[in-house]
Amino acid sequence: MTTLDSLTEILTRDYCVAREQITPEATLETLGLDSLSVLELMFKIEDRYKVKITADPPTDLLTVNDVVRYIDSLLAGNTATRAVSPSVASTDT
Amino acid sequence: MTGLGVVAPLGDAVEELWKNLVAGRSGVQRLPSSLSQGLRSPIGAPVKFDGTKHFEPPRLRLLDRVSQLALVAAQQAIRDSRVDFTAEKRERCGVFVGTGMGGAETTEEGYHTLYAQRSDRIKPYSVLNAMANAPAAWIGIDYGLHGPMLTYTTACSSSAVALGEAARRIQQAEVDVMLAGGAEAPLMVGVLHAWDAMRTLATEDAHDPSASCRPFAATRTGLVLGEGAAFVVLEEWDHAIVRGATIYAEFAGYGLTSDVAHITRPTIEGQAKAMQSALDAANLAPDAIDYINAHGTATLQNDAVETAAIKTVFGERAHAIPVSSTKSMHGHLLGAAGALEFVIAVLALTRGIVPPTMHLDVPDSACDLDYTPGHARSARLRAVMSNSFAFGGTNAVLIARTAPERNVDRDSL
Repeated sequence: MTTLDSLTEILTRDYCVAREQITPEATLETLGLDSLSVLELMFKIEDRYKVKITADPPTDLLTVNDVVRYIDSLLAGNTATRAVSPSVASTDT
Repeated sequence: MTGLGVVAPLGDAVEELWKNLVAGRSGVQRLPSSLSQGLRSPIGAPVKFDGTKHFEPPRLRLLDRVSQLALVAAQQAIRDSRVDFTAEKRERCGVFVGTGMGGAETTEEGYHTLYAQRSDRIKPYSVLNAMANAPAAWIGIDYGLHGPMLTYTTACSSSAVALGEAARRIQQAEVDVMLAGGAEAPLMVGVLHAWDAMRTLATEDAHDPSASCRPFAATRTGLVLGEGAAFVVLEEWDHAIVRGATIYAEFAGYGLTSDVAHITRPTIEGQAKAMQSALDAANLAPDAIDYINAHGTATLQNDAVETAAIKTVFGERAHAIPVSSTKSMHGHLLGAAGALEFVIAVLALTRGIVPPTMHLDVPDSACDLDYTPGHARSARLRAVMSNSFAFGGTNAVLIARTAPERNVDRDSL
């Protein structure tokens, strides 16, 4: 499953975004996600990838592709994250 | 008054609520153990309400239960009034909401996450969901109401104040149409425990939990918390006539006083002055009132003091006016109570039926008025009063009367 597939799954399931609307170029705004929704999205990404995001996401995440690239950079360890064990992923402080 | 909307323990629509009230049914019940565990008083009056049936998940994330209830009741009132805000001068339309506890669900969830789950994952929307003015804000946003948007929080009189203040804005010709009401969603573990700790909640009836709230009875033991929302569309008279609106009744008067005696203990004088002030505002003599929907919380203090206050204002006639506390059936909706009970009083007025006070089997010598015990009663009603008294001491009294014959001087418009 590609990062885009995973993100599409989260957006359709938790944000009621229509699958056909989700293209790499689509802006988050047109999908109905404001800046607070993007912050909340980080919780979903933490759960999906079993990582702890320790810094706020960049403010220039404007499109679906921006988010995909951000997730990929998280997974590559290029940004502030640390792996956590799945059992404590949602309760780790 | 041209539109009514309710989401209440006895019905999520006006007709259903009314049918159950007249039948003397109670919405009070034992709460599920997830809520009631550890409570001295494990009862409440919940609303059968599923937010997912009304809102899509992305919207739902932004709405505390109190805002969900408010939006649905407000929508009912607007549909009922058939007012079309797109055809109105928006800056002359507004919304006033009363709520006591605001977004209690969100506050509680946040603390649960923080303290119980030991997690820092507080929802980014928490502040916006929990803020007390969220219900008013969402209604204003949904209907594009650019006029005044205010939230009143005076505990148990909050929404009576919201209605009274809204009517005043119309009387002062500042606005044409006001949506006014209240919403409350206090059936949350933390809120229930806080009320339970105050020893002000009713003891559960051992045989029939639904009979636990007994206003004016010698056997009364306290109030039962309920949840819900009620809204009214208030409209300037000629404005309503010109657009051909159905007019339920005329909003006749609003009285407001403050006890400033004690944070919980009510005063006869403060309550009586609020009733007198509402009569004065309506330009009505005490003889004109044919039904009083009492505050009637079923606390020891309130019911005796309210009875004495009614006697102070109405004198000998006090015994001839049917009074009832419908809280015996729908519980105490706190900030939404005033609006819900005013809607009930207006329904009584328009339908000529006085709803009963239930579970009043053992009279109290300190409560000796005609409380319409046990059964609804037909009566010709010209004007009705609804009392709301609050912790903190803000007393608000509303009066509605039968709408006069329609006449409008179209040439002057």
